[in-house]
Amino acid sequence: MEIKSCVKIRKEWDIVSARQMGREMAKELGFGTVDQARIATAISELARNIYLYAEDGQIDYEVITEVNRRGIKITAHDNGPGIEDLGRVMEDGYSTSGGLGAGLPGVKRLMNHFDLQSEPGKGTTVTAIKWVR
Amino acid sequence: MRIPILKLHNYLLVSIQVDLDDQTAIRFQEDLLDKIHKSGATGVVIDLTSVDIIDSFIAKVLGDVVTMSDLMGAKVVLTGIQPAVAMTLIDLGVHMQNVPTALNLEQGLIKLRQELEE
Amino acid sequence: MPEVLRRIVLEHSDEVAAKWLKEIAEKRKGDYTSSISTELYESTNREFVNNIFASIDHPDEIAKLDAFAERIINLGWPLSYITDGLQSFRRVTIDFILTESSSVETVEFSKILTVVDDWVEPIIKQLVNQYSGNWEHTVSLQRLALQELSAPLIPVMENITIMPLIGTIDTERAKQIMENLLEGVMKHNSEVVLMDITGVPVVDTMVAHHIIQAAEAVRLIGATCILVGIRPEIAQTIVNLGIDLSNFPTKSSLRKGFQSALEITNREIVNLDNSTNDMTDILDSLK
Ligand SMILES: Nc1ncnc2c1ncn2[C@@H]1O[C@H](COP(=O)(O)OP(=O)(O)OP(=O)(O)O)[C@@H](O)[C@H]1O
Ligand SMILES: [Mg+2]
Repeated sequence: MEIKSCVKIRKEWDIVSARQMGREMAKELGFGTVDQARIATAISELARNIYLYAEDGQIDYEVITEVNRRGIKITAHDNGPGIEDLGRVMEDGYSTSGGLGAGLPGVKRLMNHFDLQSEPGKGTTVTAIKWVR
Repeated sequence: MRIPILKLHNYLLVSIQVDLDDQTAIRFQEDLLDKIHKSGATGVVIDLTSVDIIDSFIAKVLGDVVTMSDLMGAKVVLTGIQPAVAMTLIDLGVHMQNVPTALNLEQGLIKLRQELEE
Repeated sequence: MPEVLRRIVLEHSDEVAAKWLKEIAEKRKGDYTSSISTELYESTNREFVNNIFASIDHPDEIAKLDAFAERIINLGWPLSYITDGLQSFRRVTIDFILTESSSVETVEFSKILTVVDDWVEPIIKQLVNQYSGNWEHTVSLQRLALQELSAPLIPVMENITIMPLIGTIDTERAKQIMENLLEGVMKHNSEVVLMDITGVPVVDTMVAHHIIQAAEAVRLIGATCILVGIRPEIAQTIVNLGIDLSNFPTKSSLRKGFQSALEITNREIVNLDNSTNDMTDILDSLK
């Protein structure tokens, strides 16, 4: 069974809808309150990055089922400017916008699986998975 | 949307009850500094009991508000941060090291008084 | 199984069983089943061999074998009893068939091997599976029990709680500990929580990292975490590994930690007058 849905990120308020949607799904999947907060926060980070750096993009949600575990897969995708130095943006404290620079490295720590793909001039895709404990 | 700021003697009390979006957070920062300036308050308690998500942006706004208020002569204490929120902040790598905290509003007020007496 | 072979085996089942029982009994010397009474051992062997023979007649009737396996698992018999026993059985049976059959050609020989293997293998498989299923079950139960033991929170007095940590801390457990810690602090409204690591055998960078994170989370929700029970060798490893614990209070013993917890919560222990047994008081009263 795969449930797919998505939220488009264009306005600031979409960040709030995106994370609320993620929290709802996480709750239904049986995640505890702490993991719900982790997932919602990770989505918030990814959605805000889209809003700040790419202006337009979307967050996809997917329920993934494997033989002995279930999880939620979040994909943040945009056709924005992309990222030049993939290593750099994963460093704690690196920011081009005066932020804390905690977003991407934070998402990696909040989730179980993290993948960042980006091509300058083309866009950025971040995939993150969290398994139900 | 605006977050109400209450005045009690020399203190300002704020209880955040909504899911903070960026705009509301920024507006709150401005409103609070304005109110400190006008009222000459020496202490502020921001209660976060009903906040169920603080991401790196909101954390930065809150951290900034503490530093800015400090510059204006008002001590800020954050109270009621939920366990789930605290753990998420730790995972994010946001430690808010120089932000005073207390378990609840009541203890926040006690802490303010202690800090101001020192 | 071809009728000829089947007949050989079934007609002489007593002889085959006798040979097997003899071999098994010899093997037993030095085995850890030696603590089992000879009576029980022999009756179990007999039941085992009967079950094996029954499986030729009714290959689908596994319920009996299952019941047998379950019982000896519960009695704590080693898995090697089953595997060794069936290995011997295979050997004894093949020997027996070979001596019974008049002409043994290579083709015939390998056929006999296959036939006996086909008979014995599924039994081995089934019993081994049952053993391992049972182990997995036990392991998952123990895991659950461990999780429950994992991190109790003890409210000693108003606003002060203690969390004793015992055993090895891995990432999974660290998360659990942190959750219990924070929920407990909220629930008991404790201003100070003493985290006692006397029972943690090794504090490496990973464990220290988790402990620091827990202490920081406690600070975020508005309480103070004091780390107590730092043994000399742990203090040494912490410093040698370059771990910085200067940001939050530590004490060598629970007692000292409790003392500072009292100070933080503005309290102190006062001896009641009538119970003082101070030397000077006693001397004074003699005057
Ligand atoms: N979708 C994106 N498109 C282009 N650049 C991006 C994207 N996401 C992140 N970046 C770049 O990566 C940097 C690091 O991102 P990260 O989210 O870790 O920190 P931040 O957004 O600057 O600050 P914070 O998230 O802590 O408020 C950003 O400053 C930006 O330059
Ligand atoms: Mg960001």
